[in-house]
Amino acid sequence: MGNVVGKKVPRIDGYEKVTGKAVYSDDIKIHGMLYAAQRYTDYPSAIIKKIDTSKASAIPGVKRIILQDDIPGQITVGHVREDQKILVKDQAFYSGDVIAVVAAETLEIANKAADSIEIEYEELEGIFNVHDALKDDARLIHPEYKSNVVLHYPLRKGNVEKGFEDSDQVLEREYNTGFHEHAYIETESAIAIPDPSCRGIKLHGSFQCPFTTRKFVAKCLDIKLNQVNVNGTLIGGSFGGKDDTVSAMAARVSLLAKLTDRPVKLTLSRENSIKESYKRHPYCIKHKIGFNKNGKIQALKINILADSGAYSSMSFFVTWRSVVQAAGPYEIPNVHTDVRSIYTNNTYTAAFRGFGSPQIIYAQESLMDEIADICNITPYEIRKLNGFKQNSITASGQVLDKHTVSLNQVIDEAVKKSDYFKKVKNYKIKNSSSNRYKYGIGMASSYRGCCLGAEGVDATSAIVSVQLDGSVYLQAGLNENGQGLRTTFGQIAAEVLGAKFEDIHFLEPQTAQINDGGPTVASRSTLMGGNATLMAAQEIKERIFNIIKTDLEVSTIDELDWKDGFIYASNGKSMPFKGAAFRAYQAGVNLSAYGWYKAPEVSWDEETGQGNAYFTYVYGCQIIDLRIDTHTGKIEVEKVTAAHDVGKTINRLGAEGQIYGGVAQGLGYGIWEHYNIQNGELKSENLDEYLIPTIKDINKIEPIIIENPDADGPLGAKSLGEPTLELGAAAVNNAVSNALGKRFYEIPLTLEKIFLDKQLVKPSRASEAGLSSSGKKQSPRLSNITYTVPNNLNEALKLLNDKKYTIFAGGTDVAIELRKATHKTDLLYVGNLKEITSIESNQNEIIIGAAAKYKDIINNDKIKNFLPALVEACSTIGAKQTRNMGTIGGNIANAAPCGDSIPPLIAYNAELELASAKGTRRFKIEDFITGSYRTHREYEELITKIIIPKPSKRYKYGYIQLGRRGAVNITRISSLALVSFDKNDKIEECILAHGALFSKPGRFYYLESLLIGQKLTEKLINSIDEKLSEIIEQEIGGRWSSEYKKPAFINICKDTLKALMK
Amino acid sequence: MKLNFKLNGEHVNINVDNSKRLLDILREDYFLTGTKEGCGVGECGACTVIMNGNAVHSCIILPPQINGAEIETVEYLEQNGELSELQEAFIKHGAIQCGFCTPGMLMSATALLRKNPEPNDDEIKEALEGNLCRCTGYIPIIDSIKSL
Repeated sequence: MGNVVGKKVPRIDGYEKVTGKAVYSDDIKIHGMLYAAQRYTDYPSAIIKKIDTSKASAIPGVKRIILQDDIPGQITVGHVREDQKILVKDQAFYSGDVIAVVAAETLEIANKAADSIEIEYEELEGIFNVHDALKDDARLIHPEYKSNVVLHYPLRKGNVEKGFEDSDQVLEREYNTGFHEHAYIETESAIAIPDPSCRGIKLHGSFQCPFTTRKFVAKCLDIKLNQVNVNGTLIGGSFGGKDDTVSAMAARVSLLAKLTDRPVKLTLSRENSIKESYKRHPYCIKHKIGFNKNGKIQALKINILADSGAYSSMSFFVTWRSVVQAAGPYEIPNVHTDVRSIYTNNTYTAAFRGFGSPQIIYAQESLMDEIADICNITPYEIRKLNGFKQNSITASGQVLDKHTVSLNQVIDEAVKKSDYFKKVKNYKIKNSSSNRYKYGIGMASSYRGCCLGAEGVDATSAIVSVQLDGSVYLQAGLNENGQGLRTTFGQIAAEVLGAKFEDIHFLEPQTAQINDGGPTVASRSTLMGGNATLMAAQEIKERIFNIIKTDLEVSTIDELDWKDGFIYASNGKSMPFKGAAFRAYQAGVNLSAYGWYKAPEVSWDEETGQGNAYFTYVYGCQIIDLRIDTHTGKIEVEKVTAAHDVGKTINRLGAEGQIYGGVAQGLGYGIWEHYNIQNGELKSENLDEYLIPTIKDINKIEPIIIENPDADGPLGAKSLGEPTLELGAAAVNNAVSNALGKRFYEIPLTLEKIFLDKQLVKPSRASEAGLSSSGKKQSPRLSNITYTVPNNLNEALKLLNDKKYTIFAGGTDVAIELRKATHKTDLLYVGNLKEITSIESNQNEIIIGAAAKYKDIINNDKIKNFLPALVEACSTIGAKQTRNMGTIGGNIANAAPCGDSIPPLIAYNAELELASAKGTRRFKIEDFITGSYRTHREYEELITKIIIPKPSKRYKYGYIQLGRRGAVNITRISSLALVSFDKNDKIEECILAHGALFSKPGRFYYLESLLIGQKLTEKLINSIDEKLSEIIEQEIGGRWSSEYKKPAFINICKDTLKALMK
Repeated sequence: MKLNFKLNGEHVNINVDNSKRLLDILREDYFLTGTKEGCGVGECGACTVIMNGNAVHSCIILPPQINGAEIETVEYLEQNGELSELQEAFIKHGAIQCGFCTPGMLMSATALLRKNPEPNDDEIKEALEGNLCRCTGYIPIIDSIKSL
């Protein structure tokens, strides 16, 4: 072994992906293809009284609109309980429910028609949390199931009450986790093509589980499985998320294709993707734990409520994993677990990488650290004391004797590589002398059952086919979602056959060509599909051996070494693999083989929650070090050390990639990713508000891959994909506790959660939900625009004088805002007007053309020299791409409270010139902006230039821009201090500017006056507290955000001043 | 709207619908589907192309801004059947998983490397901050760029 397995092997699909030639669903265009658009409900919970499609149908180019009554087959779908309607008709259950789908000649026509469908509702009071859903008088969300409780899984081991009695101490804690959005960069897409050969449908699309998609489509159309052929198209990320939602979409477009006899494509906008697709379940987890003084756990009672949202979907499987693993990798004699999944009117929840484990690991591992603290032992010691060892018995009564139990090994490796103990010590010292930044390190460890376990049938397929020239086709019943299974399976086939890896070609699988290999989930691909591939390749190898053994004068296959495209006999003879393949072909040997792997037996007792839940397990430990800015609550993760037992590495490059990616998602889950849904209405609609980690949020990640080959794994390999994600939130939480000496019981650990110990969101009233969505575009997009492009400034001013235009230059605000606009917009493009794009300077002033781009300001030497705070502020705007297009004039004209160029412009006493056909006007920028998104500009006026006096003094400046993550932020608050000192080091001039604090950026004149003439000392800086607090209170005291903004701003304002102290 | 611009080294003329963004023009009119849409609001960077030497979000570039510009897409990186060094490095270092963010990443990194052939970590992060990746955790992407 070792031909290709275990090495860093570049991906099989690398070439197509780096050249942009890889074909994803939305890249496919088919002759005669129609475009589909969906009409969503306007209320998350409502009776639908009337659906009127007459206006929409009358739009030329609309070919067909489908409603629930058009579905010939089954209306509902679901993995276990079929409670999700492909199209809703009488009632809407969550904000992503689809009422109608339009197919039209163009996407714009389809979208317009979807907007034109008129629906009448009677709002039903929604149920938006599990506790309300469980009240005695709660309305039943799906009355046909007689309860809002979707399922209840119990687990009973020993006698938990007796265990509590026998414990020295009993502790009760409650943990809460949020929704988690997959945020794959490719949104869902499905294309259905009529297939007259079987009077059925062919599909392309971002289908993570093509066999599930096939079932949904066949049921909806009332056709047989062999009339639906789902192609395993390349997917732009999935992480568990491209299953039910996209399969329901597939059913809708299949129906449209059938009714129109045309191919139909449906691709979701990001907003609709986030709105419609399912999420990770929020959990409310109650723990009662009994333990001895030495830290030994005696009893654990766990009560979990999982928010299933509007539908049961995968809840049956997701929460089953939770009940198995909720007690963590600890041998506890008495365990009593109850997991219930509950219907609400929230977004429905289902599979997401981790699958019911990140929530319980977060709770259990946080609790372990808290107990360690109480018992005065280290987090390391408590895990060593209670953790699984060889032959330990799990909460479900399974004896861990069939694989290497490597919990201790992964913990020890992670502790060693992270320098854990030294850092604990160092951080303690560091924290005692640092008030603002606190450093922490935290660990989390887990065990995880591989594959589906006792939750369902676990078997899969592969076909290996050797051609007469020795090249090889490979197919699998599992899907490439980006995780790299094509490469992994290719390596296994190449390893077994001794074929060259580059001679393996992975065929895009079709459900018509290979048997149902089950879902591509549960980190089961390498183990299950790898075994199927191995079996198929092994069979062909033996067939070839029977032909060539006489040529090579050997009698057993063990005498041969198959590698690098050759077959070497121990007697010194050899033969190229392609020669052997040709010999076998000529001898009439079948060079194609079907691999079918069924997982070893597992067992489960539904009543007691006892049994051998999974046939093998993997172990992992992650240690995170981080720094917290206590002045704002911002967490910066400095390093993640991730040790994972994988059984055997097939592709080192792929394995490390899984760790890097999974760790990043785990951090996102624990810190930044807040799916803000209020009364069933989604507030974090796009990736500007749902914040996944950027490149600036990820620092060091050290992967540690541990190998304890498993008897049941292909070449010993097990699972890795999900374990990498499940530990991050727990380790972050423990590191935060270590840093602050205070425990947190809810994720994500947003700025406000750390700072105020609560999530702070803009309150919304129930009645807002429907109102705010009516009249909205169903899919945000540009439409109904005219352009006028003047050649010079005079022409522009003349045009402005004659007609009302929306002006744009860089377009970085306008092009985004217009996606939502429902009215006609006449745009005037001024970005190329030479008169307003240059940056000039004279003896006294710097004059920046209004259409000068941020990048030109940032790179201008004069501005760098004279106005460095402006450069720094402009450098934080949006992303690099935004700064390459966006203009300073646009930032001012837009007048957003968070416009980042404005505070420094105000501080530098900048003015601007407005020009119109009638003449010019000049304003101080500070006066020009009158409020949130309001200015003195009249419609016929254009901002032409910004005039900034060169500062006469040598100012020192301090600037802090606070965003929620490392980059591409909407500024939460910003503070700028510009100070000059006289020769006695006394403050001569002082300017304190603020951004994103009030309805418009501005200065604190009164505070400034208090500082002038004094020495800048810590005492002086601290003396502004009270006054600043009063000013802020007066301005925004009543607002929901002031609870955070006021104290955080006072902190950063003082920090900007402190940065200037000598 | 009538447009004249340079696309992947060739002068082109086209009359486009007003509601099209540069992204739509590339994908629909020139079949350059390597440029992807991820968010439509200039947040994720999957649509990044190089315009006049700078990385930009093609999902928020409107027709008047394209006139006279020089646009390069991911399809232009492979020349005469040879991948660029950066493309090779992405494959070698595992900078790709699902591949959907890859074209945008490559274009942001290409724009950076032309101006700064030996960027440090901070400069790489600055250049790629507007390109979201949900698969790789970014580390192999940084490694690829640093390997050049």
